[in-house]
Amino acid sequence: MGPSLLILGVFVLWPIVRSLWYSLHDWTVGAAEQPWAGLGNYTKLLGDEQFRRALANTLIITAASTAVLVAVGLGLALALTSENVVTRVIRSAFFFPTVISLTTVGMVWRFLLDPDIGLVGGVTNALGLGAVNWLQSTALALPTVIFVNVWKNAGFVMIVLVAGLKAIPGEYYEAAALDGARRAQLLRYVTLPALRPTLLFVTFIVTIQSLQLFDLVYVMTGGGPLFHTDTLVTKLYRDGFVNYRTGYAAATSWVLFIVVVLVSALQLRIFRYNDAD
Amino acid sequence: MNNKRVLAALAASAAGLLLSACGGGGGDAGSGPVSLTVWTGFTGGDRPGYEQIVKDFTAAHPDIKVTMTVQPWDTIQQKLPSAWLTGQGPDIAAPSSDPNAIAQYVKTNSVLALTATGAGDDKINTDQFAPALVKEFTYNDKLYAVPANYATLSLYYNKKLFAAAGIGKPPATVAELQQDAAKLTTGGRYGLVLADNNTIQMWPVLQWLSGGDIVGADNCSVLSTPAGVASLQPWVDLVKNRKISPVGLTGAEADSIFSAGKAAMEINGPWAAPGYKSAGIDLGIATVPAGASGQPVTLGSTAPLAVSAKTKHPAQAQQFLAYWTSRTAQLKFSLSTGFPPLRTDLAGDAQLKADPTVSVFAGQVPNAKLYLPQVPNATQVDTDAYVPLIQKITRDGDVAGGTAAAAKQIDELTGCGK
Repeated sequence: MGPSLLILGVFVLWPIVRSLWYSLHDWTVGAAEQPWAGLGNYTKLLGDEQFRRALANTLIITAASTAVLVAVGLGLALALTSENVVTRVIRSAFFFPTVISLTTVGMVWRFLLDPDIGLVGGVTNALGLGAVNWLQSTALALPTVIFVNVWKNAGFVMIVLVAGLKAIPGEYYEAAALDGARRAQLLRYVTLPALRPTLLFVTFIVTIQSLQLFDLVYVMTGGGPLFHTDTLVTKLYRDGFVNYRTGYAAATSWVLFIVVVLVSALQLRIFRYNDAD
Repeated sequence: MNNKRVLAALAASAAGLLLSACGGGGGDAGSGPVSLTVWTGFTGGDRPGYEQIVKDFTAAHPDIKVTMTVQPWDTIQQKLPSAWLTGQGPDIAAPSSDPNAIAQYVKTNSVLALTATGAGDDKINTDQFAPALVKEFTYNDKLYAVPANYATLSLYYNKKLFAAAGIGKPPATVAELQQDAAKLTTGGRYGLVLADNNTIQMWPVLQWLSGGDIVGADNCSVLSTPAGVASLQPWVDLVKNRKISPVGLTGAEADSIFSAGKAAMEINGPWAAPGYKSAGIDLGIATVPAGASGQPVTLGSTAPLAVSAKTKHPAQAQQFLAYWTSRTAQLKFSLSTGFPPLRTDLAGDAQLKADPTVSVFAGQVPNAKLYLPQVPNATQVDTDAYVPLIQKITRDGDVAGGTAAAAKQIDELTGCGK
């Protein structure tokens, strides 16, 4: 108990308290004076157009990624639950991107989508559609990042849901079938209610992952074009580590923390977690 | 052992680790050669040139052992501020090639004021450096860094594409540059490829050529002045309407387009030449054309080399900087990398004048201007205002509106008028 509390205290609790302290100062790493700012950094964030855009982008990425991931993951899981060689191969194929690092995924897709040298541009050119500059278009960059985020994580969601589906006792289906339930009714009244804890778990995981999205954006677009894919984490990285505005970056991280708490609370409510069992 | 003893042993070993870690930042203080560590971000084609300086210094100074670690600029940027503050990290570092990069370290008392200046081989010969470089690294009348290099930008052009377009020679004036850029944009190729982010700055050169600038002497933005707007408008029109370059490119992306023979011209530094030659480009290198006023102008770029305020070997570290910037080391470096020498006393050197690459870059040193020199919050002016401005106006074409907003933002960042 003691050592784990010590480790938790030094590496988790203390940095959290410090970051709150930083956020209340006009803190610059190493400066001789760290002037007290009170809530100044937080009020400054409200008027910061880059922050508002980053917050909006983060919420859009999270909402879109989570909705599409759960829908696609559930569809794949339902289609691929049975055990045979074909489903195993397809499941492996979908799961493969999950084991690659986000940085690698970002770099690969950046090359694929390059309008001059990328495979996607080559295909669209061959079809006479012309090469689209996916990552430099202010309209397309964000949907493209969301697509790659979904591509990367769909396999993970599918595997977890397949495990959840397999854990549903067969007797439920037999009993429902005896009562004359059809396929759609089985899904609606047996599968989905029984899968609720698993759905809650994957939704939680992908939501928090999406809220903290950094590597993919950093590698693919750097937050551009014109901050159209900038997220709260890429912004706080830029403030903290490029421009050395530690206090301001800490304030951004606290706003992100509050967003994560609120979104998580909302999810618990939507899934009616208390009566999930 | 009971739990308390285990805990005590763990605590003691942790304390030992912490103490030994805190003792870093400068190697041994005992007998034997002094060890100096250096961090730089020179990962490009010019890297062997810097490594040779270190090798030659170590050979000439058996009592000092120098170990240089080369890592990406952004990695150094993340680690160095806290490393130097806590007495960790290297004795010497090139913190960043961003404008006014050393200011942050001066503010936090992390860098050593250099005192070993003067004449002679074992001193830092500041009187032989380009005056703009000394000025860039001087704060409150104290010198805090020496230039690790000094590059100027030249106009790279693809001779094969020029010949195919019936253009016999590289442009000599800004008007010719604009005409050629438009004429060479044909058949899926770009006339003049321009990067606007994560790059050596190309757009300020275009602005200077056309009579504009970003920030004036009083640190107030001049982007939205009539001259500022007029200096951007023709280039924005060329990019947006004539498609002389894709928009939103990073430096690496622009370089790869030129390397692939898909662009006829690019404004770039001497580090790019080896890559273009090995890519098989029929390469021409010319000085950047004369500006609208008839005066030649280009960008000068430098990376500072500074010493940790907490180094245990300040004398040896400064000795190393003196060697790095010495006449002997710089002559060898220029000849091997194509960089212009950072010393004015090498300007007339016969060997350098005879070298076709160095001579083009070196010839532009007198006309070179630094990007946002000594401008407060220069990095933020770049990342938050200037780069987004270029990205915006090359897409929507609203130069007047874009520059007005950017100028306001820049004035807030620089504390204009305060």
